[in-house]
Amino acid sequence: MEYATVAPALVLVLVTTVILAVGKMGLFSKKWDPRGQHCFVTGGSSGTGLALALLLVKRGAHVSIVARNEGKLQKAIAELEGQRQSAEQIIKSYSFAVDSEAGSAAALQAASEAHGGRCPDAFFLCAGASRPSFWIDQNEESMRKDMDSSYGAQAFTALAATKEMVKQGVKGKVVFVSSVLGYFSIVGYSTYSPGKFALRGLAEALQSELILYGIDVHIVFPGTIYTPGYETENLTKPKVTLKIEESDSGSTPEYVADAIFKGVQKGKFHITVDFLGHIFRASSAGSSPRNSYLSDMFFALIGYVRGFGVSLRCRSDTVQIALPIWRLTVDSTVRAHRVEHEDYLRQRGYTGAK
Amino acid sequence: MADWNQHCFVTGGSSGTGLALAVMLAQRGADVSIVARNKGRLDKALETLEAARKTPKQILKAYSFAVDSEAGSLAALKAASEPFGGRCPEALFLVAGAARPSYFVEQDEELLRNGMQISYWAQACTALAGSKEMARQGVKGKIVFVSSVLAFFSIVGYSTYSPGKFAIRGLAEALQSELKLYDIDVHISFPPTIYTSGYEEENKTKPAITLKIEETDSGLTPEQVAAGIFKVSFPPFIVRALTAAKWFLPVWRKTVDSQVKRHRAEHQEYLKIRGFFST
Repeated sequence: MEYATVAPALVLVLVTTVILAVGKMGLFSKKWDPRGQHCFVTGGSSGTGLALALLLVKRGAHVSIVARNEGKLQKAIAELEGQRQSAEQIIKSYSFAVDSEAGSAAALQAASEAHGGRCPDAFFLCAGASRPSFWIDQNEESMRKDMDSSYGAQAFTALAATKEMVKQGVKGKVVFVSSVLGYFSIVGYSTYSPGKFALRGLAEALQSELILYGIDVHIVFPGTIYTPGYETENLTKPKVTLKIEESDSGSTPEYVADAIFKGVQKGKFHITVDFLGHIFRASSAGSSPRNSYLSDMFFALIGYVRGFGVSLRCRSDTVQIALPIWRLTVDSTVRAHRVEHEDYLRQRGYTGAK
Repeated sequence: MADWNQHCFVTGGSSGTGLALAVMLAQRGADVSIVARNKGRLDKALETLEAARKTPKQILKAYSFAVDSEAGSLAALKAASEPFGGRCPEALFLVAGAARPSYFVEQDEELLRNGMQISYWAQACTALAGSKEMARQGVKGKIVFVSSVLAFFSIVGYSTYSPGKFAIRGLAEALQSELKLYDIDVHISFPPTIYTSGYEEENKTKPAITLKIEETDSGLTPEQVAAGIFKVSFPPFIVRALTAAKWFLPVWRKTVDSQVKRHRAEHQEYLKIRGFFST
């Protein structure tokens, strides 16, 4: 290739990279401050939602937590009050099921009453649950139920929230909580990953579309979070899935809440919480708005390393940082499980044509 | 080219990409069952399929079923298995689906669910029924999903479509791993714009800003997409829409975002006219 044509092209790439990197490093942008903002948190009575609500109260926000169980909500409110910074803060809880537009709109309206009818400024959609299981054990009803709890629980609130914000001209924020299982998937998550990927698809469309209204969109991709929900899901998780996840480390809800807060503060679109999350984010970013072009290149490169399995000790865990290698090892684990799985199927009466 | 003895089951097989794929498979000697709802279209499609017949022994059939439910999919599979002594198809090509681009704020729960129905459940339900049958009968087959490039990214107008297409991708990712338990292969195709009657339909109601952003896009014919799917399903590996200059994507994203920003005022007018602010 002619040097004369390569050099200008390289310069162009370099200049573009620097511009994007500087722009995204936030040197010239303001950080989001929750003080005095009304934050609406679904799934706010436990786990990550509660941890996030506590953090926001500590930072001076007005906080409305929404969940179904009144008992859990009362306990949560007591904790939130313990973090109150000023008498002006409006800290409330509302018992609603938000996995429908009607439920979400009702919750929204209730929460807006204490603010003279003005809808919340920021929506943190932490509602959702996982129920890992084998695909062939599903039927249409169980598939739809899981889609409702992994996707519907946030999509319909986003719909109600967006419509209200647009009607009232509130230039707010919508924060989805997906999962690293919204970047990739493995055996056991055939009814969960579709919902978590769907949230990502919605966030991608809305990131673009809500520019029409000055509304920001963020989406978080945590890994394992040590909550009561996690313990419940492990009770029925397929053994082969547990085996693959053996060496995974997780995070506390406080750690995840902190990462969500910092990511939203800095205006990040895709927010990842741990090293593996960063690698997947960078490897699949495509045309999604980038957070930091330079560090994404680093993570993406690690993700693409082929040929050699390189181990990295990260917070006392061994993480294989070559994604294709990782994929091969996961696939082998599944294949090795076949014989045991046939026994499982036989025990469940899964033989012969129906 | 060698004769095949694969029984290929194609949903959305009476038109567009599904029909193009069915024709390609028939030309190569496969047994083909096309499934769709509209009997009239199926009859015409079967004629086209017959014209592509390679050998007299091939079984080419059309079945009228709605496959966006497990029951409907299972009924269709059973019907298609009858000429084969009850043996289920070896290859499922899940091409059923459609897009209805529209503004998010004009949706309601039912419309969002509808969007999922035509972009996700239309394929997921058949994948479920098909996997179970294959697992029961010990058929080491393949399942081919058809997603969209709108499963890699999205833009204004596709909030009722991208979730479903990303969800297909999530399902394929999980099943690619899990169906190794049964030696069933999983593939997923990500076509861009396809010039079909479906595409003309969606453009009738597509938001103006979306049309504008897509102005410079080129698309593919159903035959081109079918050829791509076919080439990759035999032998098996996952198709990805390759982007030659990845570094360019963030720049592209910025230009699209700017276009949307510039459209704000016009959009406010649009909403006012539609009575959005008075509900």
